[in-house]
Amino acid sequence: MSEVEKLKQELKALNLEYAKIREVPAEKRGEFGRDLNAKKLAILDAIRQAEEAELNVAVEAIDITAPCGVNEKMPETFSVFQGSLHPLMTELDRVTKIYQLMGFDVVESRQLDDEFHMFDSLNFAKEHPARDGYDTFRTEEGFIPPAHTSTMQHRVLKMYREKLTRGEEIAVVVPGRVYRNEDVDATHEHTFYQCEGVYVSKTCTMGDMLGILREFFEKYYEQKLNIRTQPGYFPFTEPSLEFMIEKPKSLGGKKGDFLEMLGCGMIHPNVLKMAGIDPEVYHGFAWGGGIDRLVMLKYGLKDVRYFESGDLNFLSEFK
Amino acid sequence: MLISLNWLKKFVDIDVSNEELIRLIGARLVEVEGVIDETHKYDKIYVVKVESAKHIPDTHLTLCQINVGGRTDLPKVEYDENGLVQVMCGAPNVREGMLAVWIAPGAIVPASVHEDAPFVIGKRKMLGQYDSYGMLAGADELDFGDDHSGIAEIDPAMAQPGDAIADVLELNDLILEIENKSLTHRPDCFGMIGFAREVAGILGKKFVNNIEPLNNYKISDDIKIEIAQPEICPRYTAVVLEKHGELKKKYLTLQDTILAKSGMRPVDEIVDATNYLMLLTGQPLHAFDYDKFVAVGAAKTPRIVVRLARAGESLILLDGKEVSLNENDIVITSNDKPVALAGAMGGDSTKIDDSTKKIIIESATFSLYNLRETQMAHGIFSEAITRFTKGQPAYQTLMVAEMCTGMLADGYKVAGVSDLISVKMEESRVEVTSQEINQLLGTSYSEAQIIDTLENVGFRVKVHRDRLDITAPAWRTDIHIKEDIIEEIGRLNGYDNIVPTLPRHATAEKNRMLELKTKVRNVLSSFGANEVLTYSFVSERLLKKAGLEVSNSYRIVNSISPELQLIRQSLVPSLLEKAYINQKVPFGKFAIFEVNKVYQKDWGLNEEGVPVEKMRLGCVVAERKNVEGTAYYKAKFLAESLLEKLNIAVQFLPIQQLTVETLPFETKRAAAVWTLDGEYLGVVGEFKNSVRRNFKLAEYLAGFELDMDMILQKAADKSVINNNFAVKDRQDITITTLKNYADTLKELSEKYPNAVISPVGIYQPEGVQEKNITFHLEFH
Repeated sequence: MSEVEKLKQELKALNLEYAKIREVPAEKRGEFGRDLNAKKLAILDAIRQAEEAELNVAVEAIDITAPCGVNEKMPETFSVFQGSLHPLMTELDRVTKIYQLMGFDVVESRQLDDEFHMFDSLNFAKEHPARDGYDTFRTEEGFIPPAHTSTMQHRVLKMYREKLTRGEEIAVVVPGRVYRNEDVDATHEHTFYQCEGVYVSKTCTMGDMLGILREFFEKYYEQKLNIRTQPGYFPFTEPSLEFMIEKPKSLGGKKGDFLEMLGCGMIHPNVLKMAGIDPEVYHGFAWGGGIDRLVMLKYGLKDVRYFESGDLNFLSEFK
Repeated sequence: MLISLNWLKKFVDIDVSNEELIRLIGARLVEVEGVIDETHKYDKIYVVKVESAKHIPDTHLTLCQINVGGRTDLPKVEYDENGLVQVMCGAPNVREGMLAVWIAPGAIVPASVHEDAPFVIGKRKMLGQYDSYGMLAGADELDFGDDHSGIAEIDPAMAQPGDAIADVLELNDLILEIENKSLTHRPDCFGMIGFAREVAGILGKKFVNNIEPLNNYKISDDIKIEIAQPEICPRYTAVVLEKHGELKKKYLTLQDTILAKSGMRPVDEIVDATNYLMLLTGQPLHAFDYDKFVAVGAAKTPRIVVRLARAGESLILLDGKEVSLNENDIVITSNDKPVALAGAMGGDSTKIDDSTKKIIIESATFSLYNLRETQMAHGIFSEAITRFTKGQPAYQTLMVAEMCTGMLADGYKVAGVSDLISVKMEESRVEVTSQEINQLLGTSYSEAQIIDTLENVGFRVKVHRDRLDITAPAWRTDIHIKEDIIEEIGRLNGYDNIVPTLPRHATAEKNRMLELKTKVRNVLSSFGANEVLTYSFVSERLLKKAGLEVSNSYRIVNSISPELQLIRQSLVPSLLEKAYINQKVPFGKFAIFEVNKVYQKDWGLNEEGVPVEKMRLGCVVAERKNVEGTAYYKAKFLAESLLEKLNIAVQFLPIQQLTVETLPFETKRAAAVWTLDGEYLGVVGEFKNSVRRNFKLAEYLAGFELDMDMILQKAADKSVINNNFAVKDRQDITITTLKNYADTLKELSEKYPNAVISPVGIYQPEGVQEKNITFHLEFH
């Protein structure tokens, strides 16, 4: 008798046990039932494993060192016309390359981080409601799949602060994947991409921040742009701004249509201090914006859910 | 939050167009999400006098003749010989001599303007014989609340027959929809006075508060107030009011329209007064029935104890719902018996009703942290708690309570005032120089301009040599450091006035991983593979289908669904799932790949104390109908060719050690990928039958998962070429052997050390043990 058959017999026997519940005193029936259910689940699991093992036994080994199968054609790639690149990755690449041309180092963001980097090091007061605003996920250990690429600010400040003492400046962008506990619909995804920027020097100003951001978007859209700002609030920048550009012609923009592109501001002195940089000597600015939206605007895409769908119908548009 | 521009204009003199004002508010104060245009909502609606009202027997109707003042040429209206218009009215309160609101024929009923089919009033024949023109409107039809008990009455002191209602009640208005999130740190702006102060500031004007504080209260402290922990309630003011007359509301007032335009509904005199003051000052108020309050506490006089709720306590709220209280909820208690969920909602047991003789007005501030949790735990999102969770300052509780008693003076007189301050209020002082301000902003504002900017919105500034000694006003609880002042200067004068500049700085370092990823993606897509992105979160079911240990995944405790509960350990299981989706479409054959990060608990934490992460390349090759032979060789070919493009030479060895990555693979038909110098890169191969069946995929299926960090270490730009590139001789050799391919090749290359050898094919006649392996050799 095979292992699976044996287990199935056991299961049959166990199923008969259920009838005995009537003989069990009422107050013990709950426990009795739970016990049986646990046993049943264990047997079902064992059956699944045994079946899998049987399925896997009959497999014939092959020469793994060979370039092709016996009496088979040599393998080939698929047609070059079939291949495609994910639009989010392509855009993220393009964005970081423009920043690189502008002199920014690139550090990729983590995908699992902790409370310290996500909040504490960014001047979020303990228990501050602003922390709730990020709708973070948490693991059992308290780790956080980061809700913004700012989770890397403290790291890059520390990583590059040596440059400041050499009289150079910190200029870094941080592309990466971020997560928010949000219900998914056509315009909301729990998983998306951002790009962060961090700049620190002795002399930099808010004017420099606006200049760099305008320069980036003019390079990105390959045209001159009008920019606008509005006051914002982030615990890790002071002052904080929302940065807008006039909708570019390539996106069918008309005069006076402004698009919110990112949040930005002068780095809060506490953030510099925590990274071991003296805020009396150095200033900085930082910004962060979404990549998904850039791609959606570019292609007139109406549903953000396609990005992580793995749907080849959609992806084949990006050959 | 909704802001009526007409109401705003009562507090600040505005000399720019509405369009410019809205732009400036957006650029210098807060995000304006939208503008509701009400400039025509009340067109063709007039104040009229009811000259005669004759009840029609056996109906609820009254036939009225109304005086429309000078409006003697309205279209679609017939006038009698006295110039009066006939209209039928069904309201019980219609009477001769009253001023009412008449919606003329052709006008839209205001409450219906936002409906799909707005209701246009016309002429109607009533009871088969009476022509009725237009309608006499109730407050609900005018969109000022839910009151449908009768028609609205207008105060004769305010208006005359024929006046447009829009003029009388200032209804030609624009309403701004404000994004609350962008004012999280500005509790003062959640009241019209605070908002108007900022508007004055951004227009470069000094704000003058035209609401005089009364300061007539005598603190009697005859109500006992106790606060269990100072930080949960920095200040609590309670005022007892005694009824001495009727607060009978007669007319439709400006206050009603302001409540309505701010998104609230007129309810009754007391609630309306507290709501109006909240909208005006940002300070929420609450009213308790005094006698009920005392009765609940079973004491002779009220004893208010503010404390945290205890486990097991519950409370029936004003809306009739019973809530079990959490230990973070702040409760107002009467002699220790909870009567209200502080800041969120009053309790049913102390509710004001028609028989109320005495009330207690509460004006207090609470810890925003606790209220934030209360809001989330009980799902209460009132206008009041929205303000409290921004951290209302404590300086004005007494003042606002006094304004409230002033508004209710016709019906109630003050019978006692208590005020407990548990956390001392301190002024915030900051020192900064003009130079520091200009240096950070990149501006050149003069000291005089900086001082003006600050004084316009209530800061006090003293100059000590080049330093400005700045004292923040009591309502600015957000000012702590000089950057806060710099923000004020930049914002109030307009960030748009800062000239964008480009700093000079050094060149960037190249990021090799980024370059590698770009190259890998480009090579694989040139092989006809499709790049996908899949979630970092996976289900237990997915891991089990792939044969992985669930316990090796970090587990999300607040996941959106069981499908997204675990952080993935490897890429291939997610790709198998996507392969199934696409195979079902159906796509005949494809390779999908992803470059992304994975986490395994077994890897532990890095030196920073966060989980070790690894960058991976995963790929799955699938075909619905097997025409291409053995899937393993296709996957191996793609992996090997890719690595060759990266100048990494590899060998394919039997899998000796099972790792997370190898678990879904069938070891008899999969290989470990090693560099020639002995570094492990990953796994390539076909999947176990069980895995294939679990994912419901067709037989032709293989894939690979490679370690991008190791590939990065090994990948190199090609620096050596064979300078003798001309091929001098070619030769095909077939070897008949029992050995495997690799060993056969090794022997051959030892024999021809100078040849470049490539495979041509492997042939095995039926019934024969040996294979014939054919190689192509090139000699340079």
